[in-house]
Amino acid sequence: MSSRRIAAIAKRDLKALRTDFFPVMLLIVMPFVLMPFLQPAFKLALTVEGLHEATGAEQVIPGMAVTFGFFLVGNVSLGFYREHGWNTWERLRASRAETSEILIGKMVAPLLQAVAQFVLLFGLGGFLMGLHVKGSLLALCAVAAAFALFLVTTGLAVTALCRSFIQANAVVNIGTLLLAGFAGALVPYTLLPGWAQDISPVVPSYWAMQGYKHAIIGEGASVIEPILFLLGFALLSAVIASWRFRLDDTKVGFQ
Amino acid sequence: MLRIRNVHKNYGDVRALSGVDLEVDSGNIVALLGPNGAGKTTLVSIVAGLRKPDQGQLWIDGTETTDRPQLAQRQIGFAPQEVGIYPTMSVRDNLRFFGELNGLRRQRLRTRIAEVAEAFSLTDLLDRKGRNLSGGEARRLHTAMIVLHSPPLLLLDEPTAGVDVQTRNQLLHLIRSLAEEGSAVVYSTHYLHEVEELEASTVAILVSGGIAASGSIPHLIGALGGASVDLRFSGAPPELDLPEGTIPVGADTLRVPAEDSPAITAASLLQSLDGAGSQLREVKLRQPSLESVFLAVTSDLISGDGAP
Repeated sequence: MSSRRIAAIAKRDLKALRTDFFPVMLLIVMPFVLMPFLQPAFKLALTVEGLHEATGAEQVIPGMAVTFGFFLVGNVSLGFYREHGWNTWERLRASRAETSEILIGKMVAPLLQAVAQFVLLFGLGGFLMGLHVKGSLLALCAVAAAFALFLVTTGLAVTALCRSFIQANAVVNIGTLLLAGFAGALVPYTLLPGWAQDISPVVPSYWAMQGYKHAIIGEGASVIEPILFLLGFALLSAVIASWRFRLDDTKVGFQ
Repeated sequence: MLRIRNVHKNYGDVRALSGVDLEVDSGNIVALLGPNGAGKTTLVSIVAGLRKPDQGQLWIDGTETTDRPQLAQRQIGFAPQEVGIYPTMSVRDNLRFFGELNGLRRQRLRTRIAEVAEAFSLTDLLDRKGRNLSGGEARRLHTAMIVLHSPPLLLLDEPTAGVDVQTRNQLLHLIRSLAEEGSAVVYSTHYLHEVEELEASTVAILVSGGIAASGSIPHLIGALGGASVDLRFSGAPPELDLPEGTIPVGADTLRVPAEDSPAITAASLLQSLDGAGSQLREVKLRQPSLESVFLAVTSDLISGDGAP
């Protein structure tokens, strides 16, 4: 495996992102627009839970990280469908780059996006919203890393299962809303109806929210369990991707 | 350089290739001809390592690559049928990317980009984005991307589709030059005159997944490219006593095989027309050519009169 070829593929995808930066900007800016609307509801919910010093940032920032993180699943898919739309996929495959190098190279740009999103949301967002990490910053980063891994493997699985970018886009958009909803990322978890709370633990985003919450609020709750669940979901996505991903599948991309 | 033995490929129930054998030596151009759906693209894709054959073997430079496409990909430059460039990147970045993927670095990469850009008339366009190139410029870049790393085997799938005459001539000249420098070239096309202009050392005509005829251009024309005379009438051709092998072409024309030269046959035919001569509108002499070979081979096989 050649790190140079992986770097070349990653660099090319980052250039494509830079050239078409508006969607990336939206994913960065929109959480900051929504946070002030949702913060009071999360503050109220945390106060009801007994956290009287809570500002609401403890949940609204992870909520936005989870919700907008899911859009990265679409970006992973986009990286592949764009190659098909530009007729460069077969060229890439016919080059000396091995399959594993192509796949890893195409994971780099979305992973860097995830890191940038995490740093901005928890750094700048935390500063603006008054977030105090009472637990462990390291644990927070570990949850973010596990969640990012889940996002990119799910992006691969969605690409493997969907024949066209329109299909993938629909799956990602609907999936984002559903998974964010069940996780308590858009509405405080304690305000979800009982049946929704019962379903939540089978949803990956729930474990991301739990992990962030435990890392931020502390109080002895471990992030190990949420991280293990996130890694388990990442493994499941990776298995689906490796089962269904065919390099010679004809995908309907776009220009 | 390339040896293909008994390659078969099916897509479900559809037979794409059935028992294809082919050899391409260094410095030679092998032209793959055939109607749409004949299997040309499938064959080229298999050689490029993009698809696996159901049966058969391939060797590139003496190494068997049938189940190890990564070995093939070290030796080939493959330009697929559809133009594939990155529209958001400059010409230079497109070239640099594929150079890097194929192992070129630093000064060597810069030198090759300059050389290839010069050869393909892309030097003045190096900083232009792919999306701002004309069709011909994009096609030149598409082809230039495969020669950066000087691969010993070039696979070109209909490389002149949709380009203007100048670009086509330039591409053909470059491909000929690459072969003269020692590259083995597999050139798939619909355009028979390109094969003649390229002076392809071997022509392989694919029909229904099999090689129906192959050999040098003179050999094929000598063996299969019979001369003929076309007689066009003012309406449906009249009932005439014509030599065996005469076939209708369109609604008003008969194609008569010429055993001697077409001129002698035409003279003889005109004498034998009698009253039907008044309906005759045109006489066309058809010399033996690659086109007549192609038509003879493909019409027989498509109509089921022959075996692939």
